[in-house]
Amino acid sequence: MDQFKMPYFYNYPPYFTLQPVKDTRDKQVQLWKELILKYCKNYKIFIINLDEEFPLFVNSSIERKLSHEARELFLGALVTEGKAEWLDKGHRKCLILWRTITDWANLILHFVKENGFEDGVMTLDEIRTGDETRGTDIAGIDRTVLIKALRVLEQRGKAAMFKGTSADDEGVKFSA
Amino acid sequence: MRRRPGIAGLQTAATNRNQFRTLGEDVAKARTESMKEQLSVFRTQLEDFARKHKNDIKKSPAFRAQFHAMCQKIGVDPLASNKGFWAELLGIGDFYYELGVQIVDICLATRSHNGGLIDLEELRALLTKRRRASRERITEDDCSRAISKLKALGGGFEVFTVGNRRLVRSVPTELNRDHNQIIEAAQIQGYVTAEDLVSRFSWQMGRVIDALETLMKEGLVMVDDGHADGKRRYWFPCPFRVLKVGTLFTTELKFGILDLLTSAMDQLSQLSLKEVAQVAQSLAATGT
Repeated sequence: MDQFKMPYFYNYPPYFTLQPVKDTRDKQVQLWKELILKYCKNYKIFIINLDEEFPLFVNSSIERKLSHEARELFLGALVTEGKAEWLDKGHRKCLILWRTITDWANLILHFVKENGFEDGVMTLDEIRTGDETRGTDIAGIDRTVLIKALRVLEQRGKAAMFKGTSADDEGVKFSA
Repeated sequence: MRRRPGIAGLQTAATNRNQFRTLGEDVAKARTESMKEQLSVFRTQLEDFARKHKNDIKKSPAFRAQFHAMCQKIGVDPLASNKGFWAELLGIGDFYYELGVQIVDICLATRSHNGGLIDLEELRALLTKRRRASRERITEDDCSRAISKLKALGGGFEVFTVGNRRLVRSVPTELNRDHNQIIEAAQIQGYVTAEDLVSRFSWQMGRVIDALETLMKEGLVMVDDGHADGKRRYWFPCPFRVLKVGTLFTTELKFGILDLLTSAMDQLSQLSLKEVAQVAQSLAATGT
């Protein structure tokens, strides 16, 4: 994990208050959007839950934290840009797409080709936490993201998902 | 010329040829000298002329175009020339012109962060970093001078003093005394509260809020409601040290420089068309 360096604005108190002046707020939103993506990508975080404390939104060194309204606004802005998705109607859980679903699909396909898994079968769990993917970007991928990516591959005819006898056996057959 | 037979005759012929050649060269040289002199005289006349009409040299894009065409004909570029005269004419020397453009660049690049207000020392440091290659020392006085030229071009450039600091404003904001006093008060901690200002200046709260709201609208102030004591703080990013200025050649910057040049042109005044015609005629007469 890279040593993640916070940008200058993170230590400047007013950035933790939603700015009333539009131009200033637009700039603030932009900065936070970029930071959220970078942070999540660095720590491989896929979901931000607004009901829980998220370390990025609290800066104890300057004793400031983002209000719920601010967090929802910033995440909402990411959703609008297509870089995130709300997982619930109440906007409490947000899936962060620091890599787009399409890019994930391509990454998986590439992995499959590189490792000779065409015509192979893997369970979702194996993909997420198995030996084969260890050390790659795919390791630790969020289950929801994985399924969405596999669906893209299905549409391309490169994969076919199937259910096993239990949730643990959900898997995919590749035909790259 | 009497012809002399024999070797002596040949020698004479040779000498004569040399003399002719020398004469030819002399004539050519004389002609060149004459032309040079004419050109020099014309240049001087043009300079005197322009100096005399310097205050008239404003407005009229038509004149400007002709003026620049004339300058081009005699090989002078008023905006780039090292000649002292042109520096005097436009009030912008080569050095200060370049400095001015760089100052505009830096102000535009930092504007989204500081709202168009930057500490003069900060600006000087950024300029020095940018001009590393030239090894010329840039003083605050150089910056002030360049900025005073920029001021004449509009766009709101100005150096003003707040407390013991000098700030450079690059946006056409009308900051009044109230605003300046608030900025000064904010220098110590980087922020103020409305209550502070009321007690410090003995103003009505309404007056304080008015001033603060203008500063907010201008992007010079950000609000902070996160302190445990519940009091809203008004932060001034301006004195906040900008750690890094990328070389942003944004669209904004390009238009900024275009604006700068356009207003520079606008500052040149207008010769009467008659005078322009006279000058053009003398130009034609020298055969240039």
